Amino acid sequence: MTGLPLLPAITVEFAGSALVILLAFIALRYAWTLIRLEPDNFIWGFLWYFSIALAAFAISRGVGHIIRITLVYTDHGSTWVKLSPFSGGFNTMLMISVAAVTIYYHRGLAAYKAIRSEAEKLADANLKLGENAKELQELNTNLEGLVEDRTRDLSKSEKKFRTFFENSKDIVYFSDLQGNITDINSSGLDLLGADASERTINFHDLFADPAVLDRYLSGLQTRGFVSDLDVQCAGRDGVTRHILLSGNASYGPTGEIIGYEGIGKDMTRLQTITEQLINHEKMATVGKMAAGVAHEINTPLGIILGYSQLIMEDFEEGSEPHTTMQVIERQTKVCRRIVADLLKFSRQAESQKTSLDINEIIKDVLAVTEHSLNINNIEVVRKFSEPLPPITGDAEKLHQVFINLFNNAQYAMAEGGYITIVTSREEGQVKISIIDTGVGIGENIKNKIFDPFFTTKEVGEGTGLGLSVTYGIIQEHDGTIEVESPVSDRRDESESPGTAFHLTLPTAADAPETNEKEIE
Amino acid sequence: MRFIRCTLLVAFWGLFGSVENAMALQTHGPPEGFYVHQMAHLLFIAALAYLYWHTRKTQETSGKGWRYFQLFCLFLIAWNILAFIGHETYENLNPEDFIGRNTWAAQLSYPITFKKVLYYIAKMDHFLIVPALFALVISLRSFYLDAKTGGNK
Repeated sequence: MTGLPLLPAITVEFAGSALVILLAFIALRYAWTLIRLEPDNFIWGFLWYFSIALAAFAISRGVGHIIRITLVYTDHGSTWVKLSPFSGGFNTMLMISVAAVTIYYHRGLAAYKAIRSEAEKLADANLKLGENAKELQELNTNLEGLVEDRTRDLSKSEKKFRTFFENSKDIVYFSDLQGNITDINSSGLDLLGADASERTINFHDLFADPAVLDRYLSGLQTRGFVSDLDVQCAGRDGVTRHILLSGNASYGPTGEIIGYEGIGKDMTRLQTITEQLINHEKMATVGKMAAGVAHEINTPLGIILGYSQLIMEDFEEGSEPHTTMQVIERQTKVCRRIVADLLKFSRQAESQKTSLDINEIIKDVLAVTEHSLNINNIEVVRKFSEPLPPITGDAEKLHQVFINLFNNAQYAMAEGGYITIVTSREEGQVKISIIDTGVGIGENIKNKIFDPFFTTKEVGEGTGLGLSVTYGIIQEHDGTIEVESPVSDRRDESESPGTAFHLTLPTAADAPETNEKEIE
Repeated sequence: MRFIRCTLLVAFWGLFGSVENAMALQTHGPPEGFYVHQMAHLLFIAALAYLYWHTRKTQETSGKGWRYFQLFCLFLIAWNILAFIGHETYENLNPEDFIGRNTWAAQLSYPITFKKVLYYIAKMDHFLIVPALFALVISLRSFYLDAKTGGNK
């Protein structure tokens, strides 16, 4: 051996070239599947072009090597001499191509990264949008539930307050600045004597006293509220009612007053009771004074009457002095009767109290007066509950009470009518109502009718002591007397003209309990 | 485009002309092809080095497939260097350094010098380029499998 054999190197070159071609094409195949799998992936695109260039280089180089070995070692070296520049040129060119593809990678990757970054941001944004949409959906679902709950609560609350508003026995109202009522409960409508069908009710117009209206408005506008304002309210039905009013101003979103709202309590009954109490006190005072006066006058009158009768005996009947003395005697007797009435009123007259049936007392009185009543076209309607428990009283004085009441009723019904007498028993009391269908008693004189010497009759027709005496007798029997005019029907709450006197008298302490029945 | 034009020009002159006849144009004598080829090797090395460096530092090109790709780059760089050296060495060998050239019994004559050893080793360059391409195949296969299962991109 004269040198180092090149055959192993030639063999490696031949086999290696074939392997390089094979591997380059396997790589190309994978790159192709990658690009098919994800066509939009830039890196796979680069690897695809890189593999193409490399496969081309592998073919150029490998085939060149194989051809060279084949030609040169099969004695066709001259052919290879012609082909070798092409083989070498292709090799060079394809190596440059692979390098160029790498430059393409360099330029493209930056753009791809930028696009991918934007795409990722977009994906993130989409993801967040999705999450937000989901949250929104959940919120919406919850919101529906919340709204449902709130609506239910609100409805419950609305129902509660609406019931309170409607069922309140006091007036509850809302009005605008001009006083036009925007909402009012049914008790309010009743109290104002208005009808629900009325389109507008102006609350300010119902104030009977303009000065009170001024106080109401100025209080609301300056302080924002009024408290316990005593308002006389002239209802649409003409009835004046006393209302204890508390009100507030309603404010708009910008703080300006947009209306008024308030609650008012009907104090008419309390007012009446208060006035009656005052009246009772007044009557008691007047009674004491009348008793004192009557006592003082009674003795001189007795003396005047005695002496006038003695003098009268000294003169012949029909003579002028006798006639004069008769006038003195008659007028003195009138004075004594007035004094006796005053004493009855002031409860100074002597009483003989026994156990009485009030129905019998009334019947006794009617036996005397009914004929006269019938002549005046007045019909008596009896609604007696029998048996009634007995009361303890002076029969004569009680007769006087009913005579006075029937006389007054007759006077009030000049054109005729009805007197309804109702007796009933209540807890420990007997109640008697004398109801006429007469002209009634005006609101302005209702508080004066029990005053001594107060009368609406012409001069000479009455002394004004009838109801005073009645009042005094009832007081003496520990009873009560109330006047009602016009008369309310408790069944349908309607009112009719006329007057009703309601008397109560206590039953006797040892009265047996009995079943009662109504006899008409 | 210029690259394609140059290629076509080279092909034209290769087929239909000779260097001696092209007096009117700039001549491209025999060493030029060698230099261009060697420069192509250097360009190829630079491109692969860049690719190796860039895939190493880039987040998007991490994973098993890219590690094989980087191995491919290293093997191919090594091959390019070896090929470059092989070409240079061959240029520096004399006809006397070969015995029975272009025959199956061809030998490198004794004494075996460093250049001759270098040439011999360079002649075995397929021991680098074949593993390089094998690494590329493994790399692309990994990419394919990952891509199929929706993994690394």
